[in-house]
Amino acid sequence: MLHIRELSLAFGKGAVPVLEGLSLDLQAGEFMSLIGPSGCGKSTLLRAITGLQKPSAGAVSLDVSPDEVAFLFQDDALLPWRSVRDNVALGLRNRGTRKAQARREADGWLAAVGLEGYGDRWPRQLSGGQRKRVAIAQCLALRPRVLLMDEPFASLDAIVRHYLTEDLMSWVERENLTVLMVTHDLEEAIALSDRVLLMGNGPRARIKGHFQVPLSRPRDLVGVRTEPAFRDLARDLWSALSEEVGPMSSTRPDLKVVNE
Amino acid sequence: MSMKWLGVYARRALALAVVLAIWESLAANGYVDPFYMPPPSAIGAIVVDQFASGDIWPHLQATFGAALLGLALGILFGIFLGFVAALIPYLAELLEPVMAMLNAIPRVILAPLFIIWLGIGIGSKVALSFILVVVLTFFAVYNGIRDVDQRLVERVRTLGGGRLVLVREVYIPSVVAWVMGNLKVAVGFAFTGAVVGEFVAASRGLGYLLSYAQSTYNASLTMALIFLVMVFVLFLFTLAGMLERYLLRWKGS
Ligand SMILES: Nc1ncnc2c1ncn2[C@@H]1O[C@H](COP(=O)(O)OP(=O)(O)O)[C@@H](O)[C@H]1O
Ligand SMILES: [Mg+2]
Repeated sequence: MLHIRELSLAFGKGAVPVLEGLSLDLQAGEFMSLIGPSGCGKSTLLRAITGLQKPSAGAVSLDVSPDEVAFLFQDDALLPWRSVRDNVALGLRNRGTRKAQARREADGWLAAVGLEGYGDRWPRQLSGGQRKRVAIAQCLALRPRVLLMDEPFASLDAIVRHYLTEDLMSWVERENLTVLMVTHDLEEAIALSDRVLLMGNGPRARIKGHFQVPLSRPRDLVGVRTEPAFRDLARDLWSALSEEVGPMSSTRPDLKVVNE
Repeated sequence: MSMKWLGVYARRALALAVVLAIWESLAANGYVDPFYMPPPSAIGAIVVDQFASGDIWPHLQATFGAALLGLALGILFGIFLGFVAALIPYLAELLEPVMAMLNAIPRVILAPLFIIWLGIGIGSKVALSFILVVVLTFFAVYNGIRDVDQRLVERVRTLGGGRLVLVREVYIPSVVAWVMGNLKVAVGFAFTGAVVGEFVAASRGLGYLLSYAQSTYNASLTMALIFLVMVFVLFLFTLAGMLERYLLRWKGS
C-alpha cells in the first residue's frame, strides 16, 4: 500500500541527514506502529510521506491516490475562526463539494465521532478530547484508505484516550484502513498493531527492527494486555529499544516501561 | 448587562458629576480665573452654541473626512504592503527599513512637508493621517503573516487545500485578527493626523478652530473643542470595538 525506498532527508543542503537509506513497506489493511528514540525523525518521516517535507533522495510511493491519505496530527489545532462544522467540511470543500452539501456531510461525520449537535461551536468551546474527535472527523470525512497518525493521543488523559482509541479502532476495522502510527507508548503500539517497527537513533536514522504481533485483530484492547504473547513481545521490544537507545547514548528513551 | 456593571457605570458618573460640581463652584466663587479655567457650564454653552448656530459643521466635516479617508487608505495600503512584503522577500528588503524608519520617528513632524507639497487643503491632512496609520497597519500585517500558525497551514494542506484555500482559510482571517487588534489605535492615529495637520495650516477643521482659539486666548472654546474631539473619538472607538467583537467573535471574551 505504501512503499518507502532508500529515503534520505536533510534539513538544508550540506546538513547531516535526519533520515538516510530508510525503507519500509506497509501492506494493505495493515496496522503498523513506529517507535524509536525521541528526536530520531519519526515525525519527519510522516511529513515526508504526506509531502509536507521534500526528501533529499529516495522515493515514497502509494498504491492509492494522495487524496486517499489522511494525516492525524499530534496537536489538535483547528482553524479557530471557523465553526467546528466548517473545520470538518473544509476537506470536502477542497474536493469540490458544494458548501451546503459539505456542511451536511460534516454534520454526519461529527455525529459519527460522537459530537452530534456541536457543529455550530467554535473550536475554543471544546475540550481537548473533543477537539481531537473533530480532527478525527476531518480525517474520516476524506474517506481515506491510508491513515497516518503522529502520537495522536499523547496529550490526552488516560480515560479520554481509552475511549478515543476504541472508537478509532472500530473505524479502522470497519473501513479496513491501512494505518501507520507513530507512538512513544510501547504497550499501545503492541495492542493496536499487526507489526511494530523500531527506528534507530538519529541522525541518519533508519529502521532497525520489525516485530510481528502474533495476535489476531480485532482485539479487546484491555484484555489483550494480559495475553502471554503480548507480554513476551513487550519484553523483546523493550530490550531491543534499550539496546538502541543504549546506556552510552545521551538520548533518553521517551518510552513507557511495561509494568512487570 | 449585569448589575455589577451598572454599578460601575453609576459610580463613574457620580464621580464625574462631583468633579464637575467642584470645578463649577470654584469658578463661580472666584477661586479660579475663568479666563484660564472656564467653568463647565461656559464650555457646555459654547458647545451648544456651535451646534445651534451650525458653525461647527464644516469643521467637523473637514476633520472627519480627512481622518476617515486617511484611516481607510492607511489600512488598505498597510494590508496590501504587508501582504506583498511578507510574500515577496525582495520587496521586504526594500520596504522594511523605510517602514522601520517611519515607525521610529514621530511621524507628525512630516506635517509641514505635506503642507508644502499638497497645500493647506484636505490632501495634506489625509496624507498625515495616512502615514500614521499605514506604518502601524503594515507592521501588524507583515509580522502577523510571517508568524502565522504553521500548524494551521499544514493542516489545510493535508486536507487538500492549495494556495487559494490557504489565503482564504488561514491568511485572511489571521490578517483580519491583527488589523482588528490595532483598529482602535489606528482610529486614534487617524484623528491625530487630521487635527495636527489642520493645526499647522488649514482653513477649516477642528484643528484649525483649535489653532484659532489658541491664538485669541479663548480658553473656553479651546476646551470645548478638546471635549468635542474626545467625544467623537470615543464614539468611533465604540464603533471599532463593536466591529472588532463581531469579526473576532470566535475568540470569545
Ligand atoms: N524544520 C526543521 N528544521 C531543522 N531540523 C528539524 C526540523 N524538524 C525537525 N528537525 C530535526 O530533525 C530531527 C527529527 O525530528 P522529529 O522528526 O520531530 O523527531 P521525532 O518525531 O522522532 O521525535 C530532530 O533532530 C529535529 O531537531
Ligand atoms: Mg515527533
